[in-house]
Amino acid sequence: MHDVLIIGSGLGGLECGALLAQRGLRPLVLESSHQPGGCMQSFRRGGLHYDTGLHYVGGLAPGQALHKAFEQLGLLDLPWQRMDKDFDHIIIGGRHFAFHQGYDGFVDGLAKDFPHHHKELKSFVEKLQNINASDMEVCAYDYLRQTFSDDLLLNVVSAAAMKTELRRESLPLFNFAHTCSSYIESSWRLKGDGNLLVSKLISIICKAGGEVKTDSKVVLLTEEDNRITKATCADGSSYEADYFISDIHPAKLCQLLEGCPSVRKSFRRRMASAENTCGMFTAQLCIRPNALHYFAHNVFVYDKPNVWTMTEENDPVKGVMISARIPEDGSDVLRQIDLLTPMPWHECKAWTETKVGHRGEEYKTFCQRKAEQCIALAEQYLPELHDMVEQYYTSTPLTYRDYLGTPEGGAFGMRKDCRMPMLTFHSVSTPVPNLLLTGQSIILPGIEGVTMTAFETCNKITQEKAI
Amino acid sequence: MTREEIIAEINAELAEEFEIDESVITPDAPIYQTLELDSLSLVDLIGIVQTRYGVLISKAELPSIKTFAQLYDYIEQHQK
Repeated sequence: MHDVLIIGSGLGGLECGALLAQRGLRPLVLESSHQPGGCMQSFRRGGLHYDTGLHYVGGLAPGQALHKAFEQLGLLDLPWQRMDKDFDHIIIGGRHFAFHQGYDGFVDGLAKDFPHHHKELKSFVEKLQNINASDMEVCAYDYLRQTFSDDLLLNVVSAAAMKTELRRESLPLFNFAHTCSSYIESSWRLKGDGNLLVSKLISIICKAGGEVKTDSKVVLLTEEDNRITKATCADGSSYEADYFISDIHPAKLCQLLEGCPSVRKSFRRRMASAENTCGMFTAQLCIRPNALHYFAHNVFVYDKPNVWTMTEENDPVKGVMISARIPEDGSDVLRQIDLLTPMPWHECKAWTETKVGHRGEEYKTFCQRKAEQCIALAEQYLPELHDMVEQYYTSTPLTYRDYLGTPEGGAFGMRKDCRMPMLTFHSVSTPVPNLLLTGQSIILPGIEGVTMTAFETCNKITQEKAI
Repeated sequence: MTREEIIAEINAELAEEFEIDESVITPDAPIYQTLELDSLSLVDLIGIVQTRYGVLISKAELPSIKTFAQLYDYIEQHQK
């Protein structure tokens, strides 16, 4: 019998496993697919590793947002490389801007392009440094409209927030600010693939006597006396534990709770009917050798100041993030670039009944067209990029749905809504006291959000055990 | 929607969702005890009212809704 059973081996599940292992508990992580890691996993093609969800991380320097958490998790000693001082470049309508690391540098850098708006920028970064729970009720877009009198500047400061779903009517300032602030503090890339992070967390779990089992799809949770006692897998095996943590989408969890008397229909319905965020389209480019030098910054290219409206209708592609991958051979020859753009679920509608590898020619044509549009937009920063591409691989929200089990392939989990914070920000608790939630759908998405949520989930268990 | 229609509809839905006998839902019955609400299931109640009627019960006004009659009043007054 294990102390804690964790369903799902995404970043949240593995971080919970590692944290609880460090606190003297013996966790068992069950992963339904063959490869652990969820969005952190990478794949190999033509001798190169490609990541699925990991691009850059913010706030790893001492005293910053993620430093302490990653230190505790043993993740700080991975090969993180600090990005350029100008870590995010923004191109909107052909004009070029840059975000500098550090709040003062961020303000001063943008104030060179917007000299009459220094005070507004100052007020913006002060807000970023003083975000609290009441900002879950504040509409990010309304806040920005009130703060910035220049529409282009509003678009520029929002341009790198493609790491969340920019939805004018609903995105809470709390989420928007967390998407920006830690990266301004300091920005980092991992030299190597996301599997480094996954392997490190798994080794912590295993050293403490815990286990991570893949190909173990949980199909049922059994409740006795108001506690979950057992998880049963598709192959008939079952595991008992004192505590259970779900790192899968809450709607999927509710399907496992059908026979549990403590979980009433009202809870299951609320979780099942929650809206999901949009997904992402990714074109992962393999660049011809010696065609490009590595660059340690991201570039966000938009054809016009439409940063907040492009997710509503992004066909043809109106904005793209360019993320370069650190060359693993130590040279400065760039071999891999990821191009990302938001992709709403309705663009996938024609292929929702299909599975990976069997979506047909029309889907292939659709992906090729979208990839070419991304490349064309990226050429505003990397002229003639098209001719430098040796090969590319694409993924859509359907890919994420099928590989990761995320409903509608939502890239940032369940949608948060500033008009309904009570209904859309979730507690890590469930109606069953020994069943807890973690992962990007609960409070905040992204590496920072998932890590903070993992701490909250684990604290709940260790506090209860202490009592 | 008339008050009578609201009452019939919401009573049936609450009984179904909170898995209780509809007959225990009366206008003067206390909501929290009858539906066995805690901080988590209170959110479920707010979600049901929001989804069904587009009425969002604000945090500030929650404490004023103690009985089913007060819930019907709130929905009737705020429905679009």
